[in-house]
Amino acid sequence: MPQHEFDITIGADGSVEVHVKGYKGKSCTEAVKLFERIVGEIQSEQKTGEFYEPEEQVQFRIDQRV
Amino acid sequence: MGATLVLVPVVIAAWPAFSAAVVAAAASLGYHVAAETVKQGRLAAAPKQAGSVNLEIPRSEVVTNQLGRDQRIAVTREGITVVFSRDARGKAALCVTGQGQDADALRRLGEELSQAVVQQYVHQKITDEMRARGFVVVEEETNQDRSIRLKVRHWEG
Repeated sequence: MPQHEFDITIGADGSVEVHVKGYKGKSCTEAVKLFERIVGEIQSEQKTGEFYEPEEQVQFRIDQRV
Repeated sequence: MGATLVLVPVVIAAWPAFSAAVVAAAASLGYHVAAETVKQGRLAAAPKQAGSVNLEIPRSEVVTNQLGRDQRIAVTREGITVVFSRDARGKAALCVTGQGQDADALRRLGEELSQAVVQQYVHQKITDEMRARGFVVVEEETNQDRSIRLKVRHWEG
């Protein structure tokens, strides 16, 4: 069961740092937009490896006919 | 990890939410609420010979209807009084008064308290939105530098 997590630090001045975990591809973009709506203006954004992983799991089934 | 963001807060709040953030911030810094009122003049006048500094909270807007336009809330600590209100442009403003304090000291106190108000507002908004989306707060702590660390989690499926 995939787990989504946000590790959030709210500074004494109200600035917010968020580490987005468990979101891949487009869903990560949606998570970023969510925080933009909740908090305010994005000052910096750094995409990590998980962002570039495919969002959906693709399963291959190989049938062999004899 | 998918991404790391740094965000600058924008405070757009109705007066009840804003005043709740003021109360929470004041309590965290040792202030207590002196009064909350609608019309100017009901709050106790600042002592004579007290200095005063006017500040505004950047990137803020207090949304209110006609009846709530003149709402104010005052908090006080050790001879310092800070009155929060909504200015003519709709921004959250504060007036810091106190005897025996110069303008720089009053400004520092005002900025410390206004930053704490923004922090409390953002904290409440984030936790409300996360809970509404089914996230659970699994960790929460306040650090020595007064930052608040939250870990929220949601399981899919």
